[in-house]
Amino acid sequence: MKNTKFLIQSAVIAAVYTALTLLLMPFSYGFLQIRVSEALTILPFFTPAAIPGLFVGCLLSNLLGPYGFADMVFGSAATLIAAMGSYMLKRIPIMVPLPPVLANGIVIGAMLYFVYGVQIPLYASILWVSAGELVACYGLGYPLLRYLKKYKNIFELH
Amino acid sequence: MIRDITLGQYYPGNSWIHKLDARIKIIWTFVYIISLFIIQDFWGYIIIVANLVLIIGISGVPLKFIMKGLKPIFFIILFTFTINMFMTKGTPLFHIWFLTITKEGLYNAIFMGIRLVLLIIGSSMLTLATKPINLTDGIEKLLSPWQKFGLPSHELAMMMTIALRFIPTLLEETDKIMKAQMARGADFESGNIINRAKSLIPLLVPLFISAFRIAQDLAMAMEARCYRGGHNRTRMNEMKLHRRDAVAVFFMLVFLGLVIVQAQGLFTMIPGLM
Repeated sequence: MKNTKFLIQSAVIAAVYTALTLLLMPFSYGFLQIRVSEALTILPFFTPAAIPGLFVGCLLSNLLGPYGFADMVFGSAATLIAAMGSYMLKRIPIMVPLPPVLANGIVIGAMLYFVYGVQIPLYASILWVSAGELVACYGLGYPLLRYLKKYKNIFELH
Repeated sequence: MIRDITLGQYYPGNSWIHKLDARIKIIWTFVYIISLFIIQDFWGYIIIVANLVLIIGISGVPLKFIMKGLKPIFFIILFTFTINMFMTKGTPLFHIWFLTITKEGLYNAIFMGIRLVLLIIGSSMLTLATKPINLTDGIEKLLSPWQKFGLPSHELAMMMTIALRFIPTLLEETDKIMKAQMARGADFESGNIINRAKSLIPLLVPLFISAFRIAQDLAMAMEARCYRGGHNRTRMNEMKLHRRDAVAVFFMLVFLGLVIVQAQGLFTMIPGLM
């Protein structure tokens, strides 16, 4: 039961992530992105199934989005790294939303700079993307974490 | 609001491109993107554009439909173009107020602008002409050699398939919850960006609870039917390579060859050509 449940939980997290990204489409992609679904990056705090879940969710969102292949490869890789980081930091709740801000800021900022040729300085590109992530992860993600703590039992794998 | 979303950008069709094996199309897209970065001058774009026109022509996806997909990224194209034009240093062409447009800047702006447009049109051709379900199957197959090194390719593909299946359900669910909360006086549309983000919490918490309830039921149903991972599972549609896939690979190699030859400047060695 445990394996199948883990698999399905990941799949459902991926589906929620993708649904939210698509729902708030214009803000979810690109340079000025505030991807609300990034608030879900706090989920590794509750269940390790969120690590593959967020990875697949990001992969699907970028696959369906307008930015094409590079976003799919780099964006998902950044999310995977971030999710693992969040999982490792789960003992300190306030630090949980930090890895996605850093990983996405650096990877996506660099991607916009190198791949899409946005000619602003590299550090500005990184800061810009991080700012959007900061709003999503701390503005929404962290309060979400505190609310979901009351419903911890839904994440149990039994 | 939710009615407007077409899942992905798949354009249903029955063309030669639609029928190609998803694996071949994914590899094709990789080659296409790499070649965009090999190209160093405007001549190179002729090969890329010719290839793209050919593919769009065969696929029968209307140009209008493709352009619609470009709309959300129009801003970034414009932004890149402007920044490139004003920020590149070189021989000045003319001044507007305090801004100077240089020859190199204009060249760079147009070059990068075209690259960006081609990058996005080219890679969206993959999703336009391939069903999302076939794409995930293709990804699973392409990743399966890594299974030996511990990559759970079957599990990843299964997750993608289930997630794709549940996205419409969840979109509907989100809509319902949104309406229910609005009926209770929730406000999703006013306030500054932080307040707006916070107003999504009464949406997200019930969404999670309902999503995880679905997960619970589905896991139980799968267990009851003895699902135990990828070993020896058969599938409804086996992926098979046909002759058309071989033809596609041949054209891909020709295309890559042309791009490399062009980028190395080998065409200029043929007397009388350029």
